[in-house]
Amino acid sequence: MLKEVVFAGFGGQGVLTAGLILSQVALFSGKKATWMPEYGAAMRGGTANCTVKYSDGRIFSPGQEAPDAIMALNIPSFNRFIKILKPGGIMLIDSDIVTCDTNVRDDVKVVGVPATTIVNELNNPRGLNIVMLGALVKLMGDYSEQEAIDGMNDMFSKKGKNAFEAANTEAFKRGYASV
Amino acid sequence: MGDMVKGNIAMAEAAIRAGMHMYAGYPITPSSEIMEYMSWRAQEAGRQYIQAESELGAMYMVYGAASVGSRVLTASSGLGISLKQEGVSYMQAADYPCVMISVCRYGDGLGSLQSGQTDYLRETRGGGNGDYRNIVLSPSSVQEAVDLVYLAFDLSEKYRNIVVILTEGALGQMMEDCEYPDYKEVPFYDWAFDGKHTNPQPSQMTMDLYERAQRRNALRAEITENEQRWEAVGVEDAEYVFFAYGIPGRIALGIVDDARKRGEKLGVVRAISLWPFPQKAFDAINKDVKGFVTIETADDGQMVEDVALFAKKKGFGDVPCYTITSPPGVPKTVDVLKKFEAIKAGEVKEVF
Repeated sequence: MLKEVVFAGFGGQGVLTAGLILSQVALFSGKKATWMPEYGAAMRGGTANCTVKYSDGRIFSPGQEAPDAIMALNIPSFNRFIKILKPGGIMLIDSDIVTCDTNVRDDVKVVGVPATTIVNELNNPRGLNIVMLGALVKLMGDYSEQEAIDGMNDMFSKKGKNAFEAANTEAFKRGYASV
Repeated sequence: MGDMVKGNIAMAEAAIRAGMHMYAGYPITPSSEIMEYMSWRAQEAGRQYIQAESELGAMYMVYGAASVGSRVLTASSGLGISLKQEGVSYMQAADYPCVMISVCRYGDGLGSLQSGQTDYLRETRGGGNGDYRNIVLSPSSVQEAVDLVYLAFDLSEKYRNIVVILTEGALGQMMEDCEYPDYKEVPFYDWAFDGKHTNPQPSQMTMDLYERAQRRNALRAEITENEQRWEAVGVEDAEYVFFAYGIPGRIALGIVDDARKRGEKLGVVRAISLWPFPQKAFDAINKDVKGFVTIETADDGQMVEDVALFAKKKGFGDVPCYTITSPPGVPKTVDVLKKFEAIKAGEVKEVF
């Protein structure tokens, strides 16, 4: 079992962190993982993306190939990455932000989560990436809700950021319940 | 379980743990995190860190530190490593050990910020004036990068030779789980200048260069015999054998893993030491192999020259050597496979 997920959006939305959390959840669950950012000049235009792979065995290519799932937090990311999504794959969007026509491929599943509305309700605007990650983990079905929350909190705790544990857990759960 | 760590950071931390005394460098994408990390971590660990005024300045700072017995590190990328070459050649001339991390960015001149493997020939052939070779080690995972940095210092001191860790922007920037080795206490070298003329060092102006050349040649033969490193899969019955290193090395392993599940007889030699080139890997290769194929993130292919050279030496002189090159970044497996199909179909001319 090898899974590939692309996280894409504007710089500052937390897409690189969302990817990193998923890779740490994979390690926490005893799997192997890689995290590959698109770095350099591409970031100056304001978009960021990373590719995460996780597997029970050795991961050969860590690069972007044909993602099983994509988290797109802006319209340019949706338009760019919908083209490389594997047939049968999942395109997860923040439906408050990605308001363009998303019905562009018949062979993939597009799932919208009103993540901006949710984080406003939670009064936690910086938790947008984590709401989306909660939804992604449920859609992927590779980790239980608790397993993923534990892996996420373990990562932030090691970085000395456990002050946000309750808010992160709440955001993750709202996202998980939204799909 | 290890945690996700960026390749550049992992190599910097590995150097601290391996007992590095002093780092000097000048930042450049995609190697800058090594410097950034060292800027606080070296001091925290009680080591020296200098951001030099230039790449060449940094090289002579590590030269000076090595001359008085310090375990030294520098790092850069692409053109930054080119700028260091005068100092690299001088360090080799003085037999001073040094570890240099080269995080390759694609292209000539300024090149691009993107990942590449376009500096293979420079690193494996020395890079500066003179007749020397750097030992060149190339990791394909973050864990291997850590392990090779640790090894690099030991080899550098054992042979009094520069060791280059040649990696790519993609590996420097990517994250993967890794575990660090234990801290190592390293004394200052006892052969160094100590201010008391205990170890007088001959001037290059007066030394017998031919005598030195004989000594270095013997050492080079010893390194070639002892320090070849590679990972091989499926070569014994392979119809085609890939040669690759770094990230393309992993991709080649993946292609072979997939192919063998389908019953297709492919093999791969993932080189870990680039100089010395792992020529012993040829000993296990199927004598009826139809072709050697390098996979390189480069314009024209560079490693393919070494593959052809050692294929000839090892009795595979009639076997065609091809190369599959890729644009800047991480090659896509599907693109590599397409080009390989064209090779098998006879649509691509061999390089050698």
